[in-house]
Amino acid sequence: MSEITNCIRRLRFDHHEMTQEELARKVGCTRQTIIALEAGKYTPSLALAFHLARAFGRTVEEVFTFHDA
Amino acid sequence: MNAEQKRAWLAVVSGIICLIGYLISIPFVGPQVAVAIFGLYGINGISGLIGRKERPDERDKIIARQATLGGFAASYGALWVGCMGGWLGAFAWKGQEQISVHVLGAIASLGFMVMWFVRGAAILVLYRRRLEAGHV
Repeated sequence: MSEITNCIRRLRFDHHEMTQEELARKVGCTRQTIIALEAGKYTPSLALAFHLARAFGRTVEEVFTFHDA
Repeated sequence: MNAEQKRAWLAVVSGIICLIGYLISIPFVGPQVAVAIFGLYGINGISGLIGRKERPDERDKIIARQATLGGFAASYGALWVGCMGGWLGAFAWKGQEQISVHVLGAIASLGFMVMWFVRGAAILVLYRRRLEAGHV
């Protein structure tokens, strides 16, 4: 079983305490989805993962970590 | 709470109210007339007006799709139970060789209501559960 974790919450605070609403608007999803992502309740599509990484000026691997158990 | 969740709550709450109303009405008007209370479920027709301007994202679409599949699966089950129940009630129990054509409409309505109710319940559950994009 594999798991994907992310550091979106930390990156938001590193980017001038960006709000979930601002990030959601930037990447084209809803605030609920950002909440689910931060809580680890949703693993996004590859497209949304790239959008999130670009919103923070990072690579996908810097935002998401793949844990293969 | 987004528009899809509001629609789901409307479907679930109105379904429960109809079922309770039906059970309460049976002693007063009988089971055949009490069925009329399910007409109240038609209030779900206005659910399309809830949050028309909201645009669903990929997670909303995955949840809606999974819930709709679950709803249709449940409605097939309800149709099967309705058809077998109609046959058992009319032929096996009452000994009738023909089933009233009105039963068909009732079975179709049952299938629709079960589909809408299960879809709503599934949406409420799926928004709380862990999801992965691509797992449809």
